Amino acid sequence: MRFTTDQQTLEDLNIFGKHGVESIYTLFNRTYTRGGAAILEEWFRYPLSDEKIINRRSQTIQYFTDAGTAFPFKTEWFDQAEQYLSNHDERTKLVAGDQTLRDKMTSLVAEDSDYKTIYKGVTSLIEILQCMRQFIGTIDDHAADGYRAEKEEFRVLLAETALQPLLEETQKGKWPYGKIAGYDALLRFRHRDIIRKLLQRIYQLDLYISVARLARERGFAFAEALPGDRHVVRLSGVYHPQVRQAVPNTLEINPGSNFIFLTGANMAGKSTFMKSLGIALFLAHMGLPVPASAMVFSVRDGIYTTINLPDDLGMGASHFYAEVLRVKKIARELSLGKHLFVIFDELFRGTNVKDAYEATVALSAAFAERRDSMFVISTHIIEAGEVLRERCENINFVYLPTRMQGTKPVYTYTLEEGITEDRHGMVIINNEGILEILQQGSPKITKTRKV
Amino acid sequence: MSFIADRQSIDDLNLLGKYRAGSIYGLFNKVQTRGGEKLLDEMFREPLTDPSAINQRSGVFLYLQDKDYGFPFSREQFGVVEDYLGAGSAGNILTTMAGVFRRRLMEGLVKDEAYGHIREAVRTTVSFIQTCRNFIGRFDEQEAPELLGDKIRTVKEILDDKRLTGLPREEETGDLSWQKVAVLHHLFVHVLELEMGRLCEILCYLDCCIAVSKVAADRGFSYAHALPEDEYMFHAADLRHPGLDKAVGNTISLDQDRNVLFLTGANMAGKSTFMKSFGIALYLAHMGFPVAARDMVFSVKEGLYSSINVPDNLSMGYSHFYAEVQRVKTIAEEVARSRSLLVIFDELFKGTNVKDAYDATLAVTAAFARYRNCTFIISTHIIEVGETLREEHDNLQFSYLPTVMEGAVPRYTYVLRDGITSDRHGMMIIEQEGILEIITTPQLLPDRALQP
Repeated sequence: MRFTTDQQTLEDLNIFGKHGVESIYTLFNRTYTRGGAAILEEWFRYPLSDEKIINRRSQTIQYFTDAGTAFPFKTEWFDQAEQYLSNHDERTKLVAGDQTLRDKMTSLVAEDSDYKTIYKGVTSLIEILQCMRQFIGTIDDHAADGYRAEKEEFRVLLAETALQPLLEETQKGKWPYGKIAGYDALLRFRHRDIIRKLLQRIYQLDLYISVARLARERGFAFAEALPGDRHVVRLSGVYHPQVRQAVPNTLEINPGSNFIFLTGANMAGKSTFMKSLGIALFLAHMGLPVPASAMVFSVRDGIYTTINLPDDLGMGASHFYAEVLRVKKIARELSLGKHLFVIFDELFRGTNVKDAYEATVALSAAFAERRDSMFVISTHIIEAGEVLRERCENINFVYLPTRMQGTKPVYTYTLEEGITEDRHGMVIINNEGILEILQQGSPKITKTRKV
Repeated sequence: MSFIADRQSIDDLNLLGKYRAGSIYGLFNKVQTRGGEKLLDEMFREPLTDPSAINQRSGVFLYLQDKDYGFPFSREQFGVVEDYLGAGSAGNILTTMAGVFRRRLMEGLVKDEAYGHIREAVRTTVSFIQTCRNFIGRFDEQEAPELLGDKIRTVKEILDDKRLTGLPREEETGDLSWQKVAVLHHLFVHVLELEMGRLCEILCYLDCCIAVSKVAADRGFSYAHALPEDEYMFHAADLRHPGLDKAVGNTISLDQDRNVLFLTGANMAGKSTFMKSFGIALYLAHMGFPVAARDMVFSVKEGLYSSINVPDNLSMGYSHFYAEVQRVKTIAEEVARSRSLLVIFDELFKGTNVKDAYDATLAVTAAFARYRNCTFIISTHIIEVGETLREEHDNLQFSYLPTVMEGAVPRYTYVLRDGITSDRHGMMIIEQEGILEIITTPQLLPDRALQP
């Protein structure tokens, strides 16, 4: 089964972001080649749901992280090679020994740009091939368990007899026309498929190495994927990768406590914490390193978040109704027996208190029955928590605290057990001095006119 | 001084924007001329604050709506004339003659098109002036409102100029000699350049006003009567949203003894729509425009502030609650400057917990209510605030939008009633959608079994 998610979730977690804005994708997109970036995007579009593939990918990146491997190629080789390979029109093939006197004269006076492209393409590809062979030799077979299969593929591809003259080539300085023409036929036409396959493998290698470098720089951890039916997620020191000096938190979810009930005052960091959970889960399902100190997780069939649900008041649908439809959509997915990770920020905030209270209790109790899925729900309605505590034994109550320093609220951003009654709305209003502003102003009229 | 409405308010009410779906500007933009559109833009951007100016302008619209003459030019025809007259020319009659003769020759010799263009433009202008004369002749400048009468008089004076009265009739322009074309060309673009410019300008004004009055007639809008600021009152019957076809009208009166409207109602009962209707009507009324209401009378205000769709700016670290607090602060600063404003708050403090929302709504409403020179419309889900406010203040008007239950289906009347409602149907909507059943009666995928 494919890992599923939706547009709302991608936007909530800022996975791709708006154009030109920092996003999770741009954070990871450190590849040296354009081909590498394309593969990364595919990984982001299609997260995995098979723990074996996830673990293999994750172990490979971990090997390169530990080894501190640098990308051995020059970026411009690939640009030149790609431009060269993209033209596979037979008529542009160089024919050996066919360089006429006129061609020679022309190349003396002004450089032929077509020939130049071919020349650069051929020499770049030969550099790439030779560099690759050398690089393969440096990979430690024992340490790089996850990469063994791909390394073997490289060895087979490079052992191709047709490529041997290229690998043994030792030409220095300016290459003669005849030699270029010979290799051109080989690279661009006769063994095009092998070359393509090789380049694709190298782009993949680029991605491993560039992600590994990111993991090393940022100190990201490698998540261990478990089979889906274990239903556990253990996260230590998870934080939001885009928040400066983010405070890490630790959380365990298992079938005995698969429902996280989160409370906290405004601005205490509830949304940020939920986003960091979602991002870690999402990244882990691609086999990428996660912003945490350690992570173990059972693969899920999908992740759904509801953090910034837009109110479509212009269309006549109230915020509340938008939330109801969203819950319904997730309920449908759950009823198919999928194992989901569900995040709801401030469930039912678009309605009156009593409705919100009843709806939160009813839905939370129904969700909590599904021990094969995981739920993280934040709310302002702490009364719902008290009732749920008595009804369901698998709810984990946590909160983000606020400490008051005089009249100034200070936030620790560190999870604690329980339900908090912290509320500082009035404190914030008082700090902004809104009531004073209004009291100091003088209305033009304050008294009722006598009739 | 102009009427103030900031970005957020204009977006909330969807007032401006030529290309925005359902914008109020788009509703009225039925003009034919570019000049008319520019004028409409200006009116929308700068509503008036002087009651007599407002009433004069609405008087013009009303007069034109009564007469229903229509605007006699199409967008293309007017555009051609405007471009031709606007291009201008220099020189005396001799150089113009020489120029036209040269082009006439070129036409004969090398099929040059320039002469043809000039002749066409001259003919269109002749017919344009004739249409103008017929059109303007229907107006009686004595009877028309002063603002319009002056303009009509100016146009008549221009058309009565003896240099224009001697023009050939439209039917005779088929075979003009090149000399005649040259003389007329010189007359239009050089001799009468200023007069023709003024003529076009006034026609654009008429176009704009006629378009607005046409919209009023088509949609059954009426004109509001403006009173001086210190009357502090607002009344409208059958007030509805101008963009909705089947909108339900409501009657509403507010004055300084009742300057706060406290609005309650269930989800989807139409609270936001009512508040928007009110804001839009007041904005249009300040422009002298027709409003979607009957018998509207209002004292002018200095501006309008609304807080309907305040976006949460979580990326900037603003929670929804904090964004709202900032918005309230901005408005409080304006109100405290002793301005007469209309202030609209839709579901104040919905981004926080109940107790905070209760405390905050109570404190903020009470502090605002003191300013009887301003009008406030406040909607909330927290009905308890209303009870407390009712005891402490005498200048609040309590209204609600009811929900009628027909079996298990809620129906909304959209008609205001007095009082506070405790209607709520959130759970009912959830039940209607059958969400709980979906969760409890799974239809598993083939390879799935529920965990014990």
